Amino acid sequence: MEKARLYETTFIINASLDDPQADAVIGRVQDVIVKNGGTVNALNKWGRKRLAYTINKKTNGFYVNIEFTAPAPLLASLERSFQLDEMILRFLTIQLDQKAIAARAKAQAAAAAAAPPAAEPAPVQPREPLFKEPAPDRKS
Amino acid sequence: MITTRKPRRDKESQMPRKKRTCRFCDAKEIYIDYKDDKRLSRFVTEQGKIIPKRITGTCAKHQRQLVKAIKRARHLAMLPFVSDSIR
Repeated sequence: MEKARLYETTFIINASLDDPQADAVIGRVQDVIVKNGGTVNALNKWGRKRLAYTINKKTNGFYVNIEFTAPAPLLASLERSFQLDEMILRFLTIQLDQKAIAARAKAQAAAAAAAPPAAEPAPVQPREPLFKEPAPDRKS
Repeated sequence: MITTRKPRRDKESQMPRKKRTCRFCDAKEIYIDYKDDKRLSRFVTEQGKIIPKRITGTCAKHQRQLVKAIKRARHLAMLPFVSDSIR
């Protein structure tokens, strides 16, 4: 049994597809990972973004990032399926090393530390008015 | 022989130049992510070229990581190889 490693793949789908079609493409990629003995850990849709340069005469792309654990031979079949799929403009698969995992854990901890105060604002205490209403007898 | 190095000076002001430090070391950064394209774009010229470490002050270790991240980001069309104005 091959040793399973942690990988991350980012790919760009043709942005002219509508959401269900894009989901179908993502589903196909996930299928390839699962069928070859990998497990999908996280799926991130970054959504439609402008490309820095044109790829196949297209200026926009739908970015998807998948993190998965898999044995090494899976990568060859994954790459093959990426190349066969006409709706995938670009892909990049990298192995996540210890440093990347540590950095991500640190970023998540920082985000978690920053998020709670933003999510739950401190309750505002009702305060005594600084100036009391003038006495009613002065008005009359 | 002992040589003492004079601090480098700017030509106009004759003031000792401020020592640049590696921004990634200052931030205690362990990994430079290719997905962070906004941050990477600061280390790239208007034309899209990678700025040398002698200008930005990045240390050798982080410059190597940075270059890798920029090249990955270019592959995914998050950063340009050549900017639009030149093409």
